[in-house]
This record gives sequence, structure tokens and C-alpha cells, in this order.
Amino acid sequence: MNSPYHILAIETSCDETSVAVVKNGTEVLSNVVSSQIDTHRRFGGVVPEIASRKHVESITVILEEALAEAGVGPDRIDAVAVTQGPGLVGALLVGVVAAKSLALALDVPLIGTHHIAGHIYANRLIGEIRYPALALVVSGGHTELVLLEAEGRFRIVGRTRDDAVGEAYDKVARALSLPYPGGPHVDRMAQEAEDAIELPRAWLEPDSYDFSFSGLKSAVLAEINRANMKGEPIRAHALARGFQESVIDVVTTKAMRAAREFGASQLLLCGGVAANKGIRARLTELCAEAALPLLVPPLKLCTDNAAMIAAAADLKWRCGQFDTLDLKAEAQLSLEQWSVGAATMD
Amino acid sequence: MKMGSSSDKKFATLALDTSTAMLAVAITRGGEIVGRSQSLAERNHSVYVSSRMKELMEECAVPAADIGIVAVGQGPGSYTGVRIAVTAAKTLAWIWGKPLVGVSSLEAMAYGFWRERLATASAARADAGKVWIVPLMDARRGQAYCACFSAAADGEWRREEADGIRLFENWFESLEERLAADPGQTPREIWFLSETGELTAKLLGGEGRIAVASQGASASAVRSVCREAAWLLDAAAVGLLAERRFLRGEADDVHGFAPNYTQLTEAEAKLNAARTESAR
Ligand SMILES: [Zn+2]
Repeated sequence: MNSPYHILAIETSCDETSVAVVKNGTEVLSNVVSSQIDTHRRFGGVVPEIASRKHVESITVILEEALAEAGVGPDRIDAVAVTQGPGLVGALLVGVVAAKSLALALDVPLIGTHHIAGHIYANRLIGEIRYPALALVVSGGHTELVLLEAEGRFRIVGRTRDDAVGEAYDKVARALSLPYPGGPHVDRMAQEAEDAIELPRAWLEPDSYDFSFSGLKSAVLAEINRANMKGEPIRAHALARGFQESVIDVVTTKAMRAAREFGASQLLLCGGVAANKGIRARLTELCAEAALPLLVPPLKLCTDNAAMIAAAADLKWRCGQFDTLDLKAEAQLSLEQWSVGAATMD
Repeated sequence: MKMGSSSDKKFATLALDTSTAMLAVAITRGGEIVGRSQSLAERNHSVYVSSRMKELMEECAVPAADIGIVAVGQGPGSYTGVRIAVTAAKTLAWIWGKPLVGVSSLEAMAYGFWRERLATASAARADAGKVWIVPLMDARRGQAYCACFSAAADGEWRREEADGIRLFENWFESLEERLAADPGQTPREIWFLSETGELTAKLLGGEGRIAVASQGASASAVRSVCREAAWLLDAAAVGLLAERRFLRGEADDVHGFAPNYTQLTEAEAKLNAARTESAR
């Protein structure tokens, strides 16, 4: 396909309203993100009903900004992509209905897109992906190791059995009375700490690529309780460092082992927790030792944004796999089934 | 922004409402109904809303270029439901560059009933007098989204009470008091509308009809005029009411437009309560 094409993408799966216009699959012309974080901070976490309300209030404003910033008129939009799932269903619905309305009005194809495919293909916006590739997806809602044997073919080789990494960070932050969202504070305190309180690592079965963080979270709470009972001050920095070291150790070790086993020619780090300095630093080190190329998108492409949704939707655009106007938001959409060509193969 | 007049052939209104179990889409033009599509699709409004609009536009041979305004039921009603129609309407109005006109979903329910069931007969009566119409949507725990409208025989349509979520028992009493205070103004009929036509009994404790609940001095007067009916919201009424608003020179700001939920979210209400508590 030689003529230029534009995909307009909408992402509303959680607490960010985002719209992007991406040219030829990888050239980000605009990527407007409206965060609701200040609203949800008052409640110590994302309140789904409020998130949905905010999306409705912002959606056309953000659409307008994204088109204006891209300098592209509606008549030059060739497809509308939208996060179909997974996510908060009430939040997803707003994006899906807006996208369907646009596809109807502009008479262009609609592409329902998997949120995690978006996080993974954010990497496509910064460089070529070489297959097989292994993606480590770490975010507030997800912790997964995904093998990509070929472009757009997703196979989950490991996933969390309880909390997502970001969730564990937030819970530990709350226990340490840090403000919401707590992940960045824990990361910072871990960097500043002079020593660490040693905490357990959940390796699970020897050959498993799955994760579990609930035991680690309990260990942090137990340490806080112990200090409180004895009337000792809580060593928050050392605890943050111990927690972060345990998380990083398990996550990066499993990622490197999977990359070896599946012969990955590249490791992709993605998701909001990819912003974590500790994880980035360790993975960079390990990949250098193993001579394994590592791709990490810049911060604004790691957190939820619509440009990444356009990048994933481009996979389906190029092979003409479109959805009808009856597309349904799915809170539990499967990544593997979203694979390119999967619907026709099943 | 190009605006037509009511006689302009192109001045069609695309109307939709998803605040209730009904997925309602309609096209109106110059006070007339061009076409409508009604379907009971609980929890599936988001799936079919766009294709239903597309089908209706095709059936009625009204292309997008002929649509002069986008009309939408603003709620109250199901939170998720009302967001679907509002999001669709905002997005269409924005991309088409057409005015957006919001209408109370409760008013649309009442107005549709008046227009289709009562207006003709009322106009024929010499002694007609006013009719009150009270649309109700179940909001659980004895509460209802409700409002009150009056219609005169000459067709004058007026809002008597604002949209709100109310404990129905109290509200019913206040209606009674209002009638007792001015017996000369007792309407010829008071219609209570709901999806099943039996919501008042449920809201009043299930022991029966409106008449049983009515007590006190005005009881017999109230009893004699109360009626109940099953009535489902129809988007044609949304379109017709929106046309009237638009002809009065009214339209909504597309970006700022939001559903009328009539109440805060639970989380906000709790936070406010906690703040009030700690301020004491
Ligand atoms: Zn995400």
C-alpha cells in the first residue's frame, strides 16, 4: 500500500481519555491524553462510575484536539480504531460508542483493538520489531509474558495468578501511607534507600512463567505490623527497596529465561510500570549481558494512550480484518484470540 | 453551521434514547414522525445503537446530509444506558457539525404518551381541563426517577416538577398536598406512567393501587382522577420535543453536554458525607 493512510484511535479502558491520529501505521501525528488522575486521587483509586462519566464529558473535546494537532481533516481518516477490551466495561463503552459513531458518520472501517496488543505494539512506534519477540507487559492491571512468534500472533506464556505488578505497588504504597498513585513513590524510595529489608520471592513451579505478588504484599504488611507491635518506627525506605528488589528479581529473571527458551531475538518492555526506573535499569543490564536487543517505549507511550491502539490496529488494517458496527466492548477480551488471522483460523 | 427552517425538506432530526430498557431511535421532520425503531435490548444498547441508526436512515431515505439536528434523551435513567445515547449523539453532532439538542428522557416519556394517547381525545372535549402526566422509572429502594408535566386541551405543554430521583412515597404525598391546597385546580386526570404500568403499587409498599394510598381530606378528589398506564419511551417524542426546543432558539454545547444523572456517584456522596462529618 503506497498511498498514505490515517488511523484515528480512541482509548478509554480505564481513567485516561485518549485520541490519536497515526499516519501509515507508525507516524504519530497526534496523541492527546486527558488523565483523570486528579479526580480519582481523592478516592485513593479509580472509581469506575466516575471514570465513565469523565470519558463522556471529555470525548469530543479530545477528538477535536487530536484532529487539530494532527492537522488532518475528518475526510482524511481511513479507519477508526478503538480499545475493545480488556478494561472497565463502563469506560470501554464510551470509547466504543464514540468510535462506532465516527465509523458510521465517516463511512470508514472500524477496528476493535486489544489493549495489551496496544501496549506491546507501542514498541512498533519507536522501531522495528524482530520476531520471535518476547514482550514483558507490566501495568496496573496486567503482568504478562507474551510470545510473538510472528507479527500480530500473540501467545501468553506467563501471567499473574493474583495481583498485577502495578496493583501490588499501589497496595504497598497505601500500606506505607503514600499518596495515590503510589507506584512512582515506591520506586523513588527504593532508589533512595540505603539498605533493604529482605523479602521473599515467589518463583512458583520451576518451569512456570507465571507470577504471584500477593505473598510479597502480605510480607510487607506483616513487617509493618511487626514494627507497629514493637513500637519501632517503620523503615519505609528499606521496605520499599526490599519489595522492589523482589519484584524486579522475579519479573526480569523470568523474562530472560523465557526469552532464552523461546529463542527471542528481541525483548519488549511495555505497560505503565515500564516507567519504573528499577525495572528498566535491571533489564537493560541483563539484556546487555545476554546480547539481547531491548526495546522500551518512551514514558508517554508506556502509559495508556491511543497511539499504541492505532499501532496495534494497523496489524488488522493491513490485512483488511475489520469489525462491524455491532462491535461489543469486552471487559475480558482474550489477547490470543485477537491475534491477526485468528478469527479465520478458528 | 447551517441551519434549516421547519419547512426545509432537509431539516430532519435524528433522535435517540437509551436511558431505559428500550433502544429507541427515530427520525422526525417539521413536527412529524418520519420513522422510528423501538426494541427491547437490555444491556445491549451499545452493541446495536449505531447499526440501528444507520438502518433507520436508510429505511427512511434520510442521508446524513439531510439531518439538521441530533436529538438525544439526556436521562435520567440507567447510568450506563444514558451514556450510550449521549456519547453517540455528541460524537455525531460534533463530526457532522450539527446542533445537539438534549431532551429530558422523562419528558419524552410523558410527551409521547400525551401525544399518542390523549391529545386527540382531549382536543375534542369542551370541558377538557388539564391533564397531569407523571413519568416514572424504577430507581430501586422505593425510589423513582420522576417528574410531572401538565397538558392543556389546547395542547399547551408545561413542566410542573423538575426531574429528580425521589423517595416515591414522600413525593406522592407532596403531590396530594399540592392538590389539597388548591382544589379548584385539580386536573381532570393524573396519569402515572411506567414500563409495567404497575410501578406505583410497588413503590407505595405493594398494598395496592394509588387510590388505597390516598388518605386525608383530598383523598377522594385525588382518587377519582388518578390513572396508571404502561408506557415505553419512544425516540420520536425526543425528536419532536427537540424540534420545539430548537425552534425556540435553543441548542446544547456539544463538548460540555453530559447526561443528567440527577445524583452524585456513591463514591462522591460518601466522600461528601465524610467531609461534612469531620467538619462538625
Ligand atoms: Zn494499560
